Amino acid sequence: MEREESMTSKEKIFANLNPLHNDPVADKPDLSFLSPTSYQDPLKVFIETSQTNAGANVIELNPDEDINQRILLAYPEAKIIASNIPDIKANLNPDAIKEKSDLLKVDVGVVEGKIGVAENGCVWVPQTMKERAICFASENLIILLDKKSIVSNMHEAYRLISENSNYFSPYNFGTFISGPSKTADIEGALVFGAQGAKTLTLILL
Amino acid sequence: MKIGLFIPCYVDALYPEVGVSTYKLLTSLGLEVDYPEKQTCCGQPMGNAGFQDMAKPLAKNYAKLFDGFDYVVAPSASCTAYVRHFYPQLSGNSPHICEVAGRTVDLVEFLHDILKVEKLPARFPHKVSVHNSCHGVRELGLAAPSERNVPPYNKVIDLLKLVDGITVVEPQRKDECCGFGGMFSIEEKAVSCQMGLDKLKRHAETGAEFVTGPDSSCLMHLEGIAKKEGIDMKFIHLAQILSSGL
Amino acid sequence: MISHSSASQEYLKDTATAARHDETFYGVRHKRDVISRSLPEWEDLREAASRIKEHTLENLSYYLTQFEEKALENGAKVLWAKDAEEYNKIVYEILSGKGIDKVVKSKSMLTEECHLNDFLEERGIQVVESDLGERILQMMKLAPSHVVMPALHIHKEDIGDCFREKISGTENNNDPTYLTHVARMHLREKFLEAGAGITGANFGIAATGEVVVCTNEGNADMSTAMPPLHIVSMGIEKVIPDQYSLAIFHRLLARSATGQPTTAFTSHFRGPVPGKEMYIILVDNGRSEFLKNPEHWKTLKCIRCGACMNTCPVYRRSSGYSYSYFIPGPIGINLSMLHNPKSNSGNVAACSLCCSCDNVCPVKVDLSTQIYKWRQQLDSFGTASKEKKLISNVMKTIFNHPNLYTNLLRISPLLNILPTNIGLNPWAYGHKMMHFPKKSFHQLWKEKKV
Repeated sequence: MEREESMTSKEKIFANLNPLHNDPVADKPDLSFLSPTSYQDPLKVFIETSQTNAGANVIELNPDEDINQRILLAYPEAKIIASNIPDIKANLNPDAIKEKSDLLKVDVGVVEGKIGVAENGCVWVPQTMKERAICFASENLIILLDKKSIVSNMHEAYRLISENSNYFSPYNFGTFISGPSKTADIEGALVFGAQGAKTLTLILL
Repeated sequence: MKIGLFIPCYVDALYPEVGVSTYKLLTSLGLEVDYPEKQTCCGQPMGNAGFQDMAKPLAKNYAKLFDGFDYVVAPSASCTAYVRHFYPQLSGNSPHICEVAGRTVDLVEFLHDILKVEKLPARFPHKVSVHNSCHGVRELGLAAPSERNVPPYNKVIDLLKLVDGITVVEPQRKDECCGFGGMFSIEEKAVSCQMGLDKLKRHAETGAEFVTGPDSSCLMHLEGIAKKEGIDMKFIHLAQILSSGL
Repeated sequence: MISHSSASQEYLKDTATAARHDETFYGVRHKRDVISRSLPEWEDLREAASRIKEHTLENLSYYLTQFEEKALENGAKVLWAKDAEEYNKIVYEILSGKGIDKVVKSKSMLTEECHLNDFLEERGIQVVESDLGERILQMMKLAPSHVVMPALHIHKEDIGDCFREKISGTENNNDPTYLTHVARMHLREKFLEAGAGITGANFGIAATGEVVVCTNEGNADMSTAMPPLHIVSMGIEKVIPDQYSLAIFHRLLARSATGQPTTAFTSHFRGPVPGKEMYIILVDNGRSEFLKNPEHWKTLKCIRCGACMNTCPVYRRSSGYSYSYFIPGPIGINLSMLHNPKSNSGNVAACSLCCSCDNVCPVKVDLSTQIYKWRQQLDSFGTASKEKKLISNVMKTIFNHPNLYTNLLRISPLLNILPTNIGLNPWAYGHKMMHFPKKSFHQLWKEKKV
């Protein structure tokens, strides 16, 4: 009893668990039976899934097109564009936010995606700015994505992520985004822009 | 092939014609069929109610009665499932009980998988809606469960297709539970009857004259509700349709 | 003990609401069916997920140790809570120590389980739920009715009335889009004011020490991106080995929950953002005891997708509030029995043993078998139904004595004159009585009339 009282909560929890196994990793279940679907043309599937399931707009940028022109064309009424990407014309820099409330006034946030996933329209967006709120708080979000970085499924995506520790440096955060923020909490009616962006535009480079 | 006929208690008491049809059908296929008279109930009602210990002597008696048959055949998917899947744990994995339980099959399995019948002399010129009972589908695998990503199949429908003149349909939500569930229908009577009524409406929407299936228990529940609610629908066990030419 | 049976009988009196509830959740199940069929490897994914969960739970001390080490390396602070009381205290102490009196929260079943909100509010800390459904419930002072779609049972008119009363400037408009955007603006103020964001965790990754949170609204992200402090509340069973495993669970979670191929946001927190703070509280609250239960430990494989509720014909026709535990449906019945069998035994009857839940569960929890097993134990808790025990005893006597049984069969037609008074004969509640034929099969056989 005395011993019990002097134990920390962690020790009490661990006392109930199976004793530490020598090498549980060696005992990992065999999952070789699992063969994930991969697509012949992941780009095509990615665009389709993003537009239908995820509810995103997809723009394929021509090599001769100007990206800033294209952004203005997509969001002609945008007053505040936030980005820290060097080539993007923005009037708010998420690396240099003075007032937190400024983050809530962004019309369009522009960020970079690193991996696109065909099966579900997810785009891997590692945090590359001081205030990641622009990925979520902006009224509209644009993600720039290299067409060559599209994979078939989450297995491939997580393999790439586990091989690239830079994704979490220095901000310790990354997110998959698939389409705009959505909810169906009121009577099951699908509504975009619950808490995050109301629209999402993917610009494929 | 020597067949032991297992006629579950409620079929015995309420639907003897289902037992008779099963017997006729099996003997017409050239099988030697016997009915051990000391049989009663598989014990499922007690087990599902939370008193499976009371069913232990039944498992023992069952194994004794049906020793020496090549197969035990029952016109009831739910009782068959209880014997085959629950007797092992009820008996502490007694090899003898496990072995007899393992040779127990529902009529549909027996005709479809073991005898692999391809012809029946049956004729039933009516539209029937198939009642895919839960234990038939999800415990015995009589059909592909609607929840699973597996190739579709339905052994009950395969057998019904051998019947001359029949039109076979399935209701919407084709394998949703009808709400019988043994003592569930008494303890949770409001939910049980709502489930039954919903199921009945979906069967009726098919325009069928009859609802049929491998379990008289579900049919008994649905029939009771239909009569109370004044819904015009007839109920018939699968064995009766398959033996209709005999 | 609240009985699910009487609560659901009451619920079913409003037939229109009950029918809509059934249709709504069956619709979600149908979407799950459709999307699961779009992946040929679906059933293999379920099997893989089940194996990973069982392996992790069997080696939980290893994976929790690894998770803690990595999380500490990442710069997070890791705390352990044996039970709900200790967990609530830890959260309160962190907040009060920093003088924080306003927090935002994203949906977390664990915090519901521990009643964190009440604990903090009683001590003067304002807690704002940021998931739209949870926020609606919080403003209406209601409990969730489902783990994933907690407020789907509430009518938009009632939500509109509530917003007009609580959020100034709300117009007389009950359109879901309008109301959602009212809540959006209302919550933005809260994100800005909050001193901390509290989230749950869908997964903890042992190999990297990161926490993964999935939402459709982005509310976990808003809750953590704005305030300087992030507190993660994570049940110890939420840890999985690595990102290889995560891919499997990610592919199953949203598809099972809502029929979507993914949630809109899947966020990976691998430590605090420089200059901010992150606490991870690992909560036991009975879980390590449950793992020692040889019959029921597999219940802890659950990833809280809610698929078993959506497919459960009983849940759909009785709604979450008919259950005595805050998590309803098949998984709720099982979890409630692990947490407090005596006060939750009334849920155990709420299952027709149709086994549909077993087939939708993405981690293959054998939910119906578990319920069957709990029923066997009710008598030992003193909570078995007296009527069912009596009936079972009568059956035992009859069925174990074949001669008695056959004699009774002979007189069974007498039952045709059974009273149809519902109090004496519950079958008569919704059924016309069955008719006993003159001769049973037994008699026909004896008389060689088969």
